[in-house]
Amino acid sequence: MAALHFDHRFRAMGGPCRLRFDCSDDARAARAIAACEAEVGRLEQKYSRYLPDSLTSRINRAAGTRTPVAVDEETAGLLGFADTLWQQSGGLFDLTAGILRRAWDFKSRRLPAPEAIEALLPLIGWDRVEWDTGAVHLPRPGMEIDFGGCVKEYATDSAAAVLARHGIDRGLVDLAGDMAVVGAGSVAQPWSVGIRHPRDKDRAIAHTSLAAGGLASSGDYERCLVVDGRRYGHILNPVTGWPVQGLAAVSIIAGQCLVAGGSATIAMLKPEAEALAWLRELGLPWLAVDASLQSHGSISLD
Amino acid sequence: MAARPAEKHPALLALTSSALLLPAYQGVQADAPPQYTELGMRYSKYEEDDTRGSKTFGGSSQRYDIDAAQFHLLAPVADSWSVAVDVQWEDMSGASPWFVGQSLDGGPKVVMSGASIEDTRTEVSVTTRYFYDRGNAGVNYVRSDEDDYDSNALALDGAFNSADGLTTYSGAVSYSSDNIEPTQGSVPTNTRKADKDTSSAWVGVSRIISKNAIVRFGLSYTYRDGFLTDPYKLHDKRPGERNEWTASTGYRQYFSWPDGALQADYRYFDDDWGVASHTLNLSWHQNLGESTQLIPFLRYYTQGEADFFANVADLDTRYYADDYRLSAFGAISAGLRLRHEIGNWAITAVGERYESDESWGLYNGDESPALLNYWRYSFGLDYIFK
Repeated sequence: MAALHFDHRFRAMGGPCRLRFDCSDDARAARAIAACEAEVGRLEQKYSRYLPDSLTSRINRAAGTRTPVAVDEETAGLLGFADTLWQQSGGLFDLTAGILRRAWDFKSRRLPAPEAIEALLPLIGWDRVEWDTGAVHLPRPGMEIDFGGCVKEYATDSAAAVLARHGIDRGLVDLAGDMAVVGAGSVAQPWSVGIRHPRDKDRAIAHTSLAAGGLASSGDYERCLVVDGRRYGHILNPVTGWPVQGLAAVSIIAGQCLVAGGSATIAMLKPEAEALAWLRELGLPWLAVDASLQSHGSISLD
Repeated sequence: MAARPAEKHPALLALTSSALLLPAYQGVQADAPPQYTELGMRYSKYEEDDTRGSKTFGGSSQRYDIDAAQFHLLAPVADSWSVAVDVQWEDMSGASPWFVGQSLDGGPKVVMSGASIEDTRTEVSVTTRYFYDRGNAGVNYVRSDEDDYDSNALALDGAFNSADGLTTYSGAVSYSSDNIEPTQGSVPTNTRKADKDTSSAWVGVSRIISKNAIVRFGLSYTYRDGFLTDPYKLHDKRPGERNEWTASTGYRQYFSWPDGALQADYRYFDDDWGVASHTLNLSWHQNLGESTQLIPFLRYYTQGEADFFANVADLDTRYYADDYRLSAFGAISAGLRLRHEIGNWAITAVGERYESDESWGLYNGDESPALLNYWRYSFGLDYIFK
């Protein structure tokens, strides 16, 4: 039976998604695609901070009450991963830092008032969150968590696992730039993938070969705020509440898209020189673009 | 691009081990039918050592040889089905122990049947299997034909995975109906025509306990009914029923260094004939690169003797047998299996040596002079249409 090539596009998690895989059987491919879309949809509904019924919204609504919110194994796993990111980044990655968006309005072209930022800082601090494998509790009213920093990467890996479970042994999942190879992968037949340009959403800055595992990118893709000649990007330091003078974009290849994404996020949160040193030490293939659009890194470009 | 890094940096180690706790990485496997058609051929040779001269009463001490050729076909059918057809041809020749007598020097010695047995066996097995999201179920029919024996067997089995995909519950029932019509001529036989039925049930559970380890448990019960006596043995008269129970467990652990897995299996068997046995299997599955696997294995087996076993049978008792297979003994076998894939082809080769001895066993009993040792070799070639 000859393997047919399937290329399926859909929208989820706020971006264009694509499933490419080989399968000898139309019906099985259709079932695999449906199961994949359902899995991505499930994670979006469960963790979206925009949907009032999502688990994230329920956790955030219970902030400051005396009642912890019960969580399942998957959520506890994501909290655990976020905790590891917090520890490994020295507190730069913080699941509670999303609330700073209330002070920073990048469309207004004005800097926020320092008092507005000061007022939000007491609501930030992963170390204040009480959590274990069964429940999570945000102690102060107004505190919020946001899984945006890792759910899309996790969904990419999970979608790849769904394809593998449907008997597909060669394929690539691409959720708006986060990618995972289905199955064990093959050095002989790698996937050619594009890495998004940090200043142009629709253009690839580079192409590389992905043989196995996952690739994730983190970047400051929006137009930044320039006030008095000084550039203010979107990546915010949770301790000061002010933008990090860091890299413009980072892409990493790792065994899992989730690990690649977490590592890229940590690199984005560090000041430029520190970030480049950390990426060199980490030992994973990486590509970084600095503020002047110079690229650095070990990813070999096709 | 090498995407499998040397995971040395502590940050990477921490991120990876924390990520791998999430359900998407737990290897939850839904059952899926085979994707490709597989075709296989296998040739095997089984050679029993000659019985040592000191243990036989003159005559031939040559024993059994079996040459077997197997054909295997497994194909996906429609969406959720597979069908497998296995055909086996065996050519058997040689002699088997006829009876054991008391020699003048006091020790029991075996009298062989002479090089009189020449038989061929043909077995056809057809299995169809249905795969659903949480498991699979199969029906298997086997027909076996020899000059003096035929058998028809039907088995049903099913497996069901837990919601987290980490636990699999399985069960099977089978029934076989056998007809015996011993070849007349060389030795007097215990019957002209007889039959026996075998019914069996099995339940098992296996659980993935970590990314690299799996554990399983199983229980079975078998009921045999009918002519259970060996028709060709002079001193053989066995009960018309046999109840057997087994309990088994197994554990498999993968080690990323040196890229191999250890498998250990244990089985306890007990029956109402007084035979109990222990089997311990150890194997090491070593991956050598992407396409070669080397599997050394070691098996220890020991059993007690049946209540009615005696080397020199007392023909006045209700039941008696001098069959070495019902005596107390211990056996060790060791072997090596090699599997190598080249494109769509796979080659397998197996060599095994089996030796048995009364003193190696955990149970005391009369040492049968007919205990056997053998060599087994097998060579196979498989092709996957993809």
